[in-house]
Amino acid sequence: MYGYVRPVKDELKVAEFDRFQSVYCGLCHELARRYGFFSRFLVNYDFTFLAMLLAERGEGRTCPRRCAAHPLRRRSCLESSASLAMAADMSVILGWWKLADGAADSAGMARLGCKAACAALRGAYKKAAAARPAFAASVEEQLEALHALEQAECPSVDEAADKFALILRAVAAEEKGPRGRILGELLYHLGRIIYILDAVDDLAEDTAAGRYNPLCYRFSVSDGKLSDEDARTLRAGLQLSRNALAGAFELLESGDYAGILSNTIYLGLPVAAQAVFAGVWKANAKIHRKRS
Amino acid sequence: MNDPYSVLGVAPSASDEEVKRAYRDLARKYHPDNYHDNPLADLASEKMKEINEAYDTITKSREQGGGASRGYSYGYGGGAYQSQSAGQGQRANSQYIQIRNLINANNLAQAEAMLNAIGTHDAEWYYLMGSVCWRKGWMDQAGQYFRTAATMDPSNVEYRNAVQYMNQGGQAYRPASGGMDMMGGDAACNMCQNLICADCCCEMMGGNLIPCIGCR
Repeated sequence: MYGYVRPVKDELKVAEFDRFQSVYCGLCHELARRYGFFSRFLVNYDFTFLAMLLAERGEGRTCPRRCAAHPLRRRSCLESSASLAMAADMSVILGWWKLADGAADSAGMARLGCKAACAALRGAYKKAAAARPAFAASVEEQLEALHALEQAECPSVDEAADKFALILRAVAAEEKGPRGRILGELLYHLGRIIYILDAVDDLAEDTAAGRYNPLCYRFSVSDGKLSDEDARTLRAGLQLSRNALAGAFELLESGDYAGILSNTIYLGLPVAAQAVFAGVWKANAKIHRKRS
Repeated sequence: MNDPYSVLGVAPSASDEEVKRAYRDLARKYHPDNYHDNPLADLASEKMKEINEAYDTITKSREQGGGASRGYSYGYGGGAYQSQSAGQGQRANSQYIQIRNLINANNLAQAEAMLNAIGTHDAEWYYLMGSVCWRKGWMDQAGQYFRTAATMDPSNVEYRNAVQYMNQGGQAYRPASGGMDMMGGDAACNMCQNLICADCCCEMMGGNLIPCIGCR
């Protein structure tokens, strides 16, 4: 979806990196298996994180598999599991809405691209929404609320972020008891962080295109940039959200992926925030894509 | 009760020193200061209790340790940002006390409704509104309300502490292997280091600046 939620590779152990890669490949295969080849383009780091977070202890069996992206060497791939299925369904539902949003927001070739992708994924979306009706309904509800806030030019970053955060919280709606509470809290703050980082990342583009961005109304933005002081205020708020996220994570029995998840939370998110606030995230993401 | 050794994540053959280190790391992780005004505080305190009990059981069964004290006592009060329990005497407004109680009981919707029904907004109103936002996870607005409260009543320590706590990005556990913050620069990190340094100096002189970190 956005890709901010990823581990810092250099700080992972080799075994952890292999496991991370097997979840990523496993999610991609799960998408293909459930929703056909085209849905594979929706695979990303955020949902890989989600699959690891939702995984129950002892789910981690892998098998070597080939795919179109890696035709020569088989890669170790996580076998289908409940958490992978969940992450795949949610990738399709949220991915489809993001494309629909892109089609409404952009112009020219980008608009055509989004529309074509949306059409191609329509069947997949219907299937996923039928598999997770409660989640699909809450995504639709929150996105509608977000749209209304955009129309009203809402000046509260928290209120706009709240809608997106509630979407992520809905991911844990099926989990009950303390685990449900912990995951709900963790995902709420993750949603906030993703939304706010995305708003910072898009600030220059949004101001140039005249699109809604809550930061424009909350702070005084000039040249598509926040002042140093405003950026500091915003980052202190992000830090508090990350603390809340980390506090929830430490209470979670996270089993097989604890090391990777911890790396993502304590290092990955700060590194992403650093790049976004320095204005180099998009350029870095492009380089990353070329390399891999 | 669970096996005290598995609670601390050490083998029964672990040395006293290893047990103590494991205990300290866990206690640092689940310390109430990391969960103050947090909707999961009850789960963290259960965890802390479990860890304390496990450590006490082990030290007692090993007896000869000369009564090693835990160092971490449960129940906090030394946090940088004192929460709702403090400062009630400042304003004998029964409505505000009621709202504070609602916030403490995590009944945020009702607390917010009561605050919205109050016509005149004084510093305490802004502070409590900030507390509601904080609990909801609306950190940006919480900061705005706290700052307004502190500007309206600069003499109030509770408000000032809340603002300071927000500005420095709060307090949190970091894994021993490191970890970064979201604020860029390492202002927060330096501050902690300075504090720990100062604590070490104090300890050398027989005092103790941070009772929790510098446990005996």
